Amino acid sequence: MRIVIAEDSTILRQGLVELLGLRGHDVVAAVKDAEELRSAVRAHRPDVSVVDIRMPPSHTDEGLRAAIELREELAGCAILLFSQYVETKYAKQLLADQAGAVGYLLKDRVAEVSDFLDALRRVAAGETVLDPEVVRQLFAATGRSGPLAELTAREREVLDLMAQGRSNSAIAADLFLSAGSVEKYVTSIFAKLGLPPSEGHNRRVLAVLRYLGV
Amino acid sequence: MTSRAADARTPRRGWWPGPLRQTRAEAAWLVVAGVLSPAALVVVLAGLAVGVALSPLGLGLLVLAGVVRGMRLLGGLHRRLAGVLLDAPLRAPAPVVLRPGLWHWLVARLGDRHAWRAGAYLVLRVPISFAGFAVAGSLLVFGVAAVSYPVLWFFTRDVLPVYNIVSRTWPGTVLWAVGGVLALAAVPWVVHALAVLDRQLGRLLLSGPGLLQRLRFLEETRATALEDAAQRLRRIERDLHDGAQAQLVAMAMKLGLAKEELATDTVDLDQVRALVEAAHGNAKQALVELRDLARGIHPAALDKGLDVALSTVATAAGMTATVSVRLGRRPPPSLEAVVYFAAAELMTNVAKHSGKPCTVRIDEHDGVLHLTVTDAGPGGAAVVPGGGLAGIAERLRPVDGELTVASPPGGPTVVTAEVPLPR
Repeated sequence: MRIVIAEDSTILRQGLVELLGLRGHDVVAAVKDAEELRSAVRAHRPDVSVVDIRMPPSHTDEGLRAAIELREELAGCAILLFSQYVETKYAKQLLADQAGAVGYLLKDRVAEVSDFLDALRRVAAGETVLDPEVVRQLFAATGRSGPLAELTAREREVLDLMAQGRSNSAIAADLFLSAGSVEKYVTSIFAKLGLPPSEGHNRRVLAVLRYLGV
Repeated sequence: MTSRAADARTPRRGWWPGPLRQTRAEAAWLVVAGVLSPAALVVVLAGLAVGVALSPLGLGLLVLAGVVRGMRLLGGLHRRLAGVLLDAPLRAPAPVVLRPGLWHWLVARLGDRHAWRAGAYLVLRVPISFAGFAVAGSLLVFGVAAVSYPVLWFFTRDVLPVYNIVSRTWPGTVLWAVGGVLALAAVPWVVHALAVLDRQLGRLLLSGPGLLQRLRFLEETRATALEDAAQRLRRIERDLHDGAQAQLVAMAMKLGLAKEELATDTVDLDQVRALVEAAHGNAKQALVELRDLARGIHPAALDKGLDVALSTVATAAGMTATVSVRLGRRPPPSLEAVVYFAAAELMTNVAKHSGKPCTVRIDEHDGVLHLTVTDAGPGGAAVVPGGGLAGIAERLRPVDGELTVASPPGGPTVVTAEVPLPR
């Protein structure tokens, strides 16, 4: 994959470049602020960008704002937001365009290198990947009301894993279920959330978004 | 009775004259201030006239600023005199806040509210000066003359040259003497009445912060303290985010890579070794950064007292410093921390700007803790808005601390912080 990295901490930027290089990826640009990120993405059109939310000059949400702008400007621009803390407001803003190809992970997740690379690959492939912590907080904020209240405990578990970007087979493995039963739960979730079959693959994203109250 | 005991201790504040000692002091005040304040007023008015006359030349503004400064000094002189003679200790008004530049200096000097108040005091004191001499003075003169008339009458049998005191018969002179005694008895009352007026006038125009100003000061310093605490927390969060946390993420990243490399069939040992080495470096760096951060929050050495903590600061900064702490008892921890951070920052300043050895002295006078940091560096240190010293002064304010800086060009620099200790 061709990857752009935007991270203001030198030590983490170099670490990511090294890690992705070792795993055979092509880091086309590693930049340290949002302005450089914008020009790097416009120039290189990478498969995916890893973006730190908090960057100079104000150290608040520069990375997020640049990501939202870039996604408006370039269709299908895949971005994995990378942060040391979880802010549900950011996650909701990022997910609001419902276009997929986004992720929001805690920086801690790089410790599991393969999982991190897998998440990166999925975002590049157009999926939505959320950190379990993000999901937990979003769900806590949404509460259990509306159509979500009708889901069974098992269905909620499946939806929780879907929100983390897991595929059906991964969910089946996690919950010790057969692929067939996961499929059944997923269909039931779609039905209960009122998502008609015609919306195809995007239904998965929509279900997650509804689940997260975005 | 409690009230009488209180009366004995505190000088009487009503219209009733106090003991003789007090009346004497009040009379002395009326004489000294009676000459001083009209004379001062004449000089001030002359100065103002010169200043106004010269103002088209621009030079006049300088003269005016000088005169205004003079008014402030005269106000201070009267305040101190009143403090001694009238037993009316008044708080000095806040000093003028000066900023660099001639224009700022002029504006600050000419707009010095307390100096103009002192000027108003000089004007309003004129009637009191006059009354002091005209009423109290003539009562005294008449009283002494009339009381001595019976004796003098034997020698002169004549009219006295003052107040037309005259009598044909000796019993008549006794009547005069009784009148004189009455006049003399009235003197302390008049003197005291004038002194009471003077006290009020001084309190109104010469004193610094009253309760209202104190309230405003407390509001301001409370806001400063809150802002300071919030900023400190923000800084700690930033330091954690950019420091230890980043090091730990980098370390986890490298160990993750190493772990996965070790799980493969063809382990590249060189790569694993390099990764572990780098992760080890991250871990050590994270430890250093956490320790620095912890020291910034609360220095562990401070638990053992200011001298140990400040000696540690000197050693850590690699500077030569003589630290001496002479306090009767340990200040409360919150105050100790304030003094510690002020001293540590001053010492860091010395290390940064002067490089010369410094002396840190902490002692106590009259319930006030004095922190003095002296160095033989090049001098020229000043409290400028937004500067390091101003920051220290600002952080001392919530505990009523004051920072003074004496740093002539060529040195030495003496920075003193005074912090009142709780009783």
